[in-house]
Amino acid sequence: MTAMRRDLLLCGLFACAALFWPMISDMRYSVTQTTFFFIWATVVVQWNLVFGIGGIFSLAQVAIFAIGAYVTAMLGYYLGTSMLLAMPAGAVAAVAASLVLGIACLRLYGPYVALLTICVSQVLYVLIVNDTDCFTNPPSGCMPLMGGVRGFSRFGDLGFRDWLGAGFYIGNYYVGLLLLTAAILFSIAIIHSPMGLAFRALRDNPVYAAARGVDRFRYQLWIFGLSAFFTGLSGAFYAVNTGVVGPVVFSFQHLLFLLSMIVIGGIGTVWGPVIGAAVLMLADEAMRELGDFRDIGMGLLLVACVVLMPRGLTGLFQDMARRFAKPADTEGAT
Amino acid sequence: MTQARETPLLSCRNVTKAFGSLTAVNDLSFELAAGEVLGIGGPNGAGKTTLFEMISGQTGVTSGTIALEGRDITTLSPVGRCHAGLARVFQLNTGFDSLTVRENVLVAAYYGRAPRRMPGLRVPSEVGDRVQDALGRVGLEASADRPAATLPVIDRKLLMIAGALAMSPKLLLLDEPVGGLTQREIDRVADVVRQVAAGGVTVVLIEHVMRFLVQLSNRVMILHHGKKLYEGDASGLSRDRDVVEVYLGHGAGKEVARMAADRAEVRHVG
Repeated sequence: MTAMRRDLLLCGLFACAALFWPMISDMRYSVTQTTFFFIWATVVVQWNLVFGIGGIFSLAQVAIFAIGAYVTAMLGYYLGTSMLLAMPAGAVAAVAASLVLGIACLRLYGPYVALLTICVSQVLYVLIVNDTDCFTNPPSGCMPLMGGVRGFSRFGDLGFRDWLGAGFYIGNYYVGLLLLTAAILFSIAIIHSPMGLAFRALRDNPVYAAARGVDRFRYQLWIFGLSAFFTGLSGAFYAVNTGVVGPVVFSFQHLLFLLSMIVIGGIGTVWGPVIGAAVLMLADEAMRELGDFRDIGMGLLLVACVVLMPRGLTGLFQDMARRFAKPADTEGAT
Repeated sequence: MTQARETPLLSCRNVTKAFGSLTAVNDLSFELAAGEVLGIGGPNGAGKTTLFEMISGQTGVTSGTIALEGRDITTLSPVGRCHAGLARVFQLNTGFDSLTVRENVLVAAYYGRAPRRMPGLRVPSEVGDRVQDALGRVGLEASADRPAATLPVIDRKLLMIAGALAMSPKLLLLDEPVGGLTQREIDRVADVVRQVAAGGVTVVLIEHVMRFLVQLSNRVMILHHGKKLYEGDASGLSRDRDVVEVYLGHGAGKEVARMAADRAEVRHVG
């Protein structure tokens, strides 16, 4: 249980440090960018549970995120639902969609899961973009059911604008921090639980694990559904925070950006995805002025990381820690 | 016990497994009463391991039925068979290499007894006790926190048995539990198996080490080309001309006769 205590302590330290960031930084831009970091880190922490811990090569996380965002925006836009209700509703819808998808694809293995899940998210994208029938016809122009190419805007917020005025973004910052902290705590609980143990056993030897009573399909479906809750909730919060939801959330580029975070940070670890998200967002920020070279730069960074540290940054840290503390070489990998 | 005699614990009826034109197990039928120890021998390729694969569910049968306590388990998944009370120890040194010894047994203790529809966040203390008990029964408490990959061969075999015991099985399938071990190590495994059997667990074991097979089994079955060549008391093995010709050879035949006689003596004295 010491590994779990350590992770909980780190999580507490991280949350406490992040509490003070808006007070130290008086630049609005850095605070709102950190809010986006919370959103993407939440998505990749949950994706890591599916991909790194559960061993499911799923690319559906972006679609699940988008479902959370769309359901929230649509409830607000069409029904005028309060965002406090629409956000959990979006998360629940994401779980339901994820379970249906899981039942369909978890009979498959490895790359076939990836193919099926990427198909689903691309089909959703095409359906939304190609829908040109007007569902309603407000003064601002024809509005297809799923928003079409232009997407949704002005569907509501969490009320920080009325309460904090120009400083509303700070309210969103703390909601984002709460979201990420909850997502990390959930991830720690799963990784150190009997379910985490079952997944490690399945990765070591699936036939032997089945002969010891571990039902692969059942626990993969559980992790698929459970991780969709925070993924959908981060999608819902993305919608509220940005104020706009469009088909761009389904884009392949977006998916690769998030997947790179897990790979660079370290697959299958508690902290890898969080570190990866921070590093990639900083790198993206640093290359902002470079125009087209930005994508090339991101690509080079990814290739360099995969070649030089296949186990990601956390793997590198572990190796370094082991080298410095050779005599006390007893601690296992997280 | 009387009720168990009415319904056999394990019953295989006309079990056949064909891989294309090769019939690995051919129309085999046998029954096993609760508390029995059945030893299965036979030359390589006789279909012993294939028979185990079918009983524990890793391979489906081509035809025939397998029943555990009268319940047809022929189409049940390997996981379902675990929960029905069946535990198998594999021939090769199988284990979860990145897990510690304790975690290896914990997987079996937590998941192997009954279906966990919703896995919990913590290990109940009752499961922890069962892990400790299983480790104690095979004598691996001292290595509990070592990674399974670092264990010597004998301990890996014992670890597999500990995992099986943590599932509290009704039927234990042992596939060559002492293959490649020294005489001393064989005796250690034999002690463990003897105690398990004494505790009321029914055991089926496959083994080439005849001393182990003869000493532990109430009944011996020899397979050849997927068919039953011999079934009966160990003392009859050396008198059966087919078994001697096909499997034992004349020298080993005499050895087996002596071992069977020793065993009979021990039984009378005990």
